[in-house]
Amino acid sequence: MSGEPELARLLACVVARELRDGEIVAFGLHAELLLVAALLAQRLHAPNLTIRHGLRVERGAEIGPAAWTAERSSRSHELVEYLEAHDAVLDVANPSSPMRFCDVFLVGGLQIDREGSTNLIGIKGADGRLAVRGPGSIGTTSIGTLARHVILFSTEHTTRRFVETVDYVSVPGWRRRAAAGLEGGPTLCVTPLAVMDFADGRMRLRSVHPHTTAEEVRRRTGFPLTAGPVPLTPPPTPAERAALEIVDPFDRLAGFDLRPDGGPR
Amino acid sequence: MSRAERVADLAEVAALVRDGMTVGLSGFSYQNPPMAIVRALIRRGLKDLTIVSGPTSGMETDLLIGAGCVRRVVSAGVAFERVSGIAPAFRRAAERGEIAVWECDECLWHLALKAAAWGLPYVLWRGGVGTSLPDLNPDLAEVTEDGRRYLRVPPVQPDIVFLHVAEADAYGNARAARQAYLGRSFSERALALACRGPVVVTAERIAPDGEVTGSPERTLVRGALVVETPWGAHPGGASGRYVPDLEHYREYAAAGEARRQGDPVPYQRYLERHVYGPEEHEDYVRTIGVERLQGLRMGEA
Repeated sequence: MSGEPELARLLACVVARELRDGEIVAFGLHAELLLVAALLAQRLHAPNLTIRHGLRVERGAEIGPAAWTAERSSRSHELVEYLEAHDAVLDVANPSSPMRFCDVFLVGGLQIDREGSTNLIGIKGADGRLAVRGPGSIGTTSIGTLARHVILFSTEHTTRRFVETVDYVSVPGWRRRAAAGLEGGPTLCVTPLAVMDFADGRMRLRSVHPHTTAEEVRRRTGFPLTAGPVPLTPPPTPAERAALEIVDPFDRLAGFDLRPDGGPR
Repeated sequence: MSRAERVADLAEVAALVRDGMTVGLSGFSYQNPPMAIVRALIRRGLKDLTIVSGPTSGMETDLLIGAGCVRRVVSAGVAFERVSGIAPAFRRAAERGEIAVWECDECLWHLALKAAAWGLPYVLWRGGVGTSLPDLNPDLAEVTEDGRRYLRVPPVQPDIVFLHVAEADAYGNARAARQAYLGRSFSERALALACRGPVVVTAERIAPDGEVTGSPERTLVRGALVVETPWGAHPGGASGRYVPDLEHYREYAAAGEARRQGDPVPYQRYLERHVYGPEEHEDYVRTIGVERLQGLRMGEA
């Protein structure tokens, strides 16, 4: 693996493979890598995937992920004509409506724990009080609670990010969901080093990316991950690479802020 | 008799706010923060405000916190997207215990405003059960009804609301631009419908009558007090009019971060230059410079 651009492409492919035809997918407004993943899925195997903010693959090539930023060079106002819809107010809980918020929700956090709970609120100090203030739960809590399918995504893989138990809960994981009478839980967690899934409500290692090792992933995770042989994450296929060139013609992925080493120790 | 106009000036509307009030502010991320009024409120030296902003808010909230005007924040997040993942004054004040935060997400923020708009003592909402939010907010209880768990969301009712919009007519119809970033509107209606007192809009321009009746679908809020305030969202963007001045955000974020780490000088300098120095909004516009502002303008739409 030759560094960040290649890593970003791999992660976009990993996420795209999880998105199914006919679903509605939602993610943060400025999450370019996830936008590329969704556009990729639309082109490859999910032409009826609806991206929450309304983009369609046919228009993706003109847009490019940078159009989703407010950077002046992207002239973000020109994007509007490409949006099929925009809902200003997040207040949908009905899972049956074609206007439901989403089926798949991609979400991250300051902390992510073993059962897949996330935290954007803050981090406690040794005295048990809030020591580091986070941005707040933004759009994650209700959507993450109500979505049928949650996929966790992290731009770093460190022991400060992956902790045994989060200090505060923005989106509940498996055990907390069960206790609150909610079914299911997050199914996958994608990082710059590995792909994790869940068994019995606990995170486990599903594959490691070709540029690292299972040993390194375990060292950088703040809770035990099951031992045993771990396969490599399948690299982008020729078909995926060809589709990436179409949905990301300006190679915006190359500029995505990702640390191939997983981030600071 | 002729129809009464509802046009005011910035000083008049800033004078409506008193210490301890709950103030609703528009502004989603970089878009449409009522910055001219925020600077005017800071110059008045107001204290102990509760700020209801968002759903996810930015500069309008952070600057008021940084200037010492805020006691409590009701917002799903305070951040400048990728310029600053956590807004610096918000972070500093929260970590020092100087402000209280009503922990919510964007849905709960809207539902609390809806409870106020509908005149209800609470609304029940299933999102957020099993999280820390009920532990962190004493007024947000997790309850069981018909065997299911819900959050009981209390009303949040601003005493006064300030919105920045693309245009308004002289009779208080506040309007979105025809074409705007990510859609035309954010939380303007939610805030206005929940408000117990005046709704004030700062507008990029005052539109003539005929324009308004020809496109009623663009009217977001009616019955507002109107202040014509070109560039009133700067450094934020005004949907359909100009893009956010990210260079200004970066300067501000650097000053805020320096103060958080113990050097108060850059932040104080920012406040002197952009808030306390300019007596009027027009003076602020001059400190930024017409050329720079024109460079942010979008094509007319």
